Amino acid sequence: MTAVVHTARYAARACLPRRRRLGLLLPGLGALLFGMLAHVVDAGTAEESFAAVATVGLFAIVLPIGCLVIGDAMLGTEVRGGTLHFTWLSPVPRWTIVAGRWAAGTIAASLVLGTACALAAVVAGVPGVAPPLFLAISAGSAAYVALFIMLGAITRRAVVWSLGVVVLGERLLGAALDGVAQLSPGWLSRTAFTGLTDATDLFRAGVPDGWAAIGRLALVTAICLAVAAWRLSSLRLAGRSE
Amino acid sequence: MTGATGAAFAADPTVEVDNVSAWFGQKVALSELSCSFGPGLTGLLGPNGAGKTTLLRIVTGLLPASKGRIKVAGGDPRADAKVRAALALVPEDEAVPGPLTPRQLVQYRADLFGVVGRNAVDHALDQVGLLDVAHRRLEGFSKGMRQRAKVAAALVTDPTVLVLDEPLNGADPVQRVNLITLFRRLGADGRTVIVSSHVLHEVERLAERIIVLVNGRLAAAGDRRAIRDAMVDRPRRVLVRATQPRFLGAALVEQESVTGVTVDGDDLTVATSRAGELAIVLPRVAKAVGSRLHEVRPLDESLESIFRDLVR
Repeated sequence: MTAVVHTARYAARACLPRRRRLGLLLPGLGALLFGMLAHVVDAGTAEESFAAVATVGLFAIVLPIGCLVIGDAMLGTEVRGGTLHFTWLSPVPRWTIVAGRWAAGTIAASLVLGTACALAAVVAGVPGVAPPLFLAISAGSAAYVALFIMLGAITRRAVVWSLGVVVLGERLLGAALDGVAQLSPGWLSRTAFTGLTDATDLFRAGVPDGWAAIGRLALVTAICLAVAAWRLSSLRLAGRSE
Repeated sequence: MTGATGAAFAADPTVEVDNVSAWFGQKVALSELSCSFGPGLTGLLGPNGAGKTTLLRIVTGLLPASKGRIKVAGGDPRADAKVRAALALVPEDEAVPGPLTPRQLVQYRADLFGVVGRNAVDHALDQVGLLDVAHRRLEGFSKGMRQRAKVAAALVTDPTVLVLDEPLNGADPVQRVNLITLFRRLGADGRTVIVSSHVLHEVERLAERIIVLVNGRLAAAGDRRAIRDAMVDRPRRVLVRATQPRFLGAALVEQESVTGVTVDGDDLTVATSRAGELAIVLPRVAKAVGSRLHEVRPLDESLESIFRDLVR
């Protein structure tokens, strides 16, 4: 367990340098802007206006993009940059490397994105939904970070694949197919929020909501982490010349 | 010097490379290589692109061999955590986690390996001369300082097998001497230390035993004197620019060390099998025939050409 803590501490320091942390402010600011936008959207009550903005802005843009910045930094950037050997070439089990990086990434994403989205709810004039929104965004962050870590362990073009999964997989296929949405961190975090509040506009038939969605997100997270740990064992850490 | 079959194998091997090949797409990086490394310092010499880095990455388990088998400390470095606990690598790549300080990096490695105590970290940093700047971020370091930080991160784990890929790259002359002394001491302590380089003089200063790779194949192996002799006593051509070139050429042809002379205007191209001897004879002969030497320059002195000759 201490190896997980050491790896998480290293990941928080080494994988999220100052520039990347500043980059994270953008989705955070974006969340606040979406909160303000809720005031000019006329969708009925303040809750309904915020729900409309959250669907497009928070769950479809801020959450995946913010998590992509963090999740890719946790593993993919180190694989491409040639610094993963500092961790890989050690006696610690592979799963501890994955778990530590996921923990660091999830904490960072929850703190930045969860807090920004909760503040967006306050800005939008619906402070009552801030706690469930924080919870839904945090659960979604955990799954997204695990997904992007997994892609970092599978492919060297992790950013391209991650964007492909979000845009093509979640947005296009997920919108049309319930089966895809049932495994999509974006859709599940949205329906988690739906179930935890009364945002009925966000309800989607065929996809679990509330705590059931959070449970499904935990399952997606566990599968992604297991694949990442398995893949890490067979990773080819070639040098630049190869 | 003996060929690939004899001197390529250590008497008491810690690292065994058995018929290993590696390829990346169409590019063959290593071809049916067999050799071994034992306690002490072994130099791995070869021109750029010879397959040194690939071999070292396979030895440390960072890359799988496409074919063949690797055994380090009796196990598989990719699968066996105990083997990884005994291994340390200083890669050639300049990459370091920039936001960290050397102390944080070395401490992290110490934590992963269960090394207890601040002394171990301080000692590792002190060994490479980075203790005074241990609080500064690695991203502001020069190439040589980054290299030393990686050496410290390797040393703190007290490895049995230490693999160093071009570790002297970027080091200033003073640090170069210090690092060479350090590596020699680690080898003398009974660790298996493998140091790669494409610079013959560097490897000569470091290691008694040298393995030479060219084009992914074993070109030569043996003690450093045998390797140097093989490299020096090879046919080579020397350009001589002098007055009275025809007289000088005629006199040089009679020398035992000279195998042929071509005259083209004031230029003589002298073929020799013993360059050292020619260097002594040439001024004497020139003086005897009244020729004044303007320029003496080897025509094929690059390390690559020497390596090419070795594998002919």
